[in-house]
Amino acid sequence: MTMSINAPGGMPRAKVRSQTASGVVAMIIGIGLLAALVAMPWWAGQGTIRSVVELCCYIAIAQMWNLLAGYGGLVSVGQQAFSGVAAYMMFALAQNMGVNPFIAVPLCLIAPAILAVPTYALLHRLDGPYFAIGTWVVAEVIRLLTTNFGYVNAGAGMSLRVMTQYSAHERAIGVTILCALMLLVTVGGTYWLLRSRYGLALTAMRDNPVSAASQGVNVSRLRFLLFVAGAVGTGLAGAIYFMAQLRITPDAAYGPQWATVAIFIVMIGGIGSIEGVLIGSFIYFFADRWFGDYGATYLVVLGVLTLLVALFARGGVWGLVNKVVDAPWFPTRRVLVSGGDQ
Amino acid sequence: MQWLDGFIQGILLGGLYAQYALGMALMFGVMRIVNISHGDLMILLALIGVSLSVSFGLGPFVLLVVLVPIAAAIGYVLQRGILNRVVSQDPLPSIIATFGLSIALQNAMQQIWSADTRSIAGGGIEQASWQIGSIFIGVLPVIVLIVATALTGGMDALLRFTKFGRALRASAADVEAAALTGVNPKAVYALATALAVGILGFAAVFQGLRSTVAPSDGPAQLIYAFEAVIIGGMGSIWGAFLGSMVLGISQAIGFRINPGFGILAGHLVFLTVLAIRPQGIFGRS
Repeated sequence: MTMSINAPGGMPRAKVRSQTASGVVAMIIGIGLLAALVAMPWWAGQGTIRSVVELCCYIAIAQMWNLLAGYGGLVSVGQQAFSGVAAYMMFALAQNMGVNPFIAVPLCLIAPAILAVPTYALLHRLDGPYFAIGTWVVAEVIRLLTTNFGYVNAGAGMSLRVMTQYSAHERAIGVTILCALMLLVTVGGTYWLLRSRYGLALTAMRDNPVSAASQGVNVSRLRFLLFVAGAVGTGLAGAIYFMAQLRITPDAAYGPQWATVAIFIVMIGGIGSIEGVLIGSFIYFFADRWFGDYGATYLVVLGVLTLLVALFARGGVWGLVNKVVDAPWFPTRRVLVSGGDQ
Repeated sequence: MQWLDGFIQGILLGGLYAQYALGMALMFGVMRIVNISHGDLMILLALIGVSLSVSFGLGPFVLLVVLVPIAAAIGYVLQRGILNRVVSQDPLPSIIATFGLSIALQNAMQQIWSADTRSIAGGGIEQASWQIGSIFIGVLPVIVLIVATALTGGMDALLRFTKFGRALRASAADVEAAALTGVNPKAVYALATALAVGILGFAAVFQGLRSTVAPSDGPAQLIYAFEAVIIGGMGSIWGAFLGSMVLGISQAIGFRINPGFGILAGHLVFLTVLAIRPQGIFGRS
């Protein structure tokens, strides 16, 4: 076994397979779903579009949280700082400065990116659980600053009145295209990242940061980049969500319910996997539709479920599925097919 | 004069924060367990206190005698039932478990007590005050500060000088080594959490007497306690006390500058400490 490593002339040729049949099928279905999403304004009603936009935002926010917590070991309960600040930036650009709202969505991402740098610089000194509560403090600070900031109408919030220049159909086209791009960037981007060289480093870091560092992974730099990427992805979801809502207030933008939703989705679906996020998002979305009317009781059940998953089924639904069948939708494993001296 | 007044009121407010922070200093700083539902437990206890005082007409001091044992029992069950199962090197399970608990508690409390703000009737003690020059000093806040000081001193002595304190510090430093020397870490942890939540029983009664409580107030109390512990320095009991004073003074002075700036001033002082002295005032780097 070790002979191949010691063989003169460098590494032997090895064949590694990293795609599976289930992965190809999932990719085709995924592209089909994205096409259906972009075509929605021509086949779906306003209510359906609004629901699907909401679902897409949940998927994006949960996927970004998964990237941070599942791979980076950065558990945050304050990602609403980034979704909120991006959404507010988008409102300010479009409503106060007259930028086209659909152009304002990508432009506003500068705000979460800039906020993420000092946030990380301050908070990375706190390890694990303390980091989590530190992010919450940052979100609170941003919420309080926004509440006192007259330029964005302080605590009363803003309406996106500039959107009235478009018809409902035009708005739907713009928002669904943005949603499709958002899913490409957050879900597709994570998939691409995990399959690249960095994916190996990320997976190594997820399994054991200390041994990853000893193998030459620059853990602190990678964590910083992940934190900024997570902030930007979460910001994109926030901007699109509030564009669809047409209205924003500090309490809605910076409320802890964002963290609750992301944590619930990732934990129920299965942390550290893209499949888990998708499954969790669908579960949350339909649970919210069917049981949301029960209000507080429903949230009690949600909280207890999160608690039970943390206690008894850390892998979530996808972890349970994995025990039965091995058919990843987003395969990121590398399987050695043949290698050595043959 | 208004700055001196702000300073004095800040110290008195810090007395209340010290009571939230003390339990967290024990769990966070010494045992290194995170409990996101810390604030919600305090609110739960305060609401139980409101109901008890209304139903049975209990005065504030009888209420303390009744509520603190209830709090300790809740803490014991919390550690035995949930936290002992998630304690590990990986912080994620304990954060997620107690986050879920926090959401469930907040909404369950809203179902039982509705979203209204309530307070505990103190029979006049909440209005009594001394006047020194132009400054009014409330009797109740002074009692809160005295109790907080006594609790801090007691907890510090307990950790330093008793067998239980040594067993707890040993378990926190190295669970397996402690177990080898005959300590049962799970039992020690359960007692320590009972102690930490028991102190929240004091905080709950005083919070209910001094101001109001509503089911959604928990996260704010969690953040204050957390800030006090980090400002003071992780692992130091008197550090948490001092951190509470710093936080209370920052908020009280901030409120006098601008009412919208009070809470924010506390957060900014916390972030500043994090930037220039991340190990906290009493922490060892």
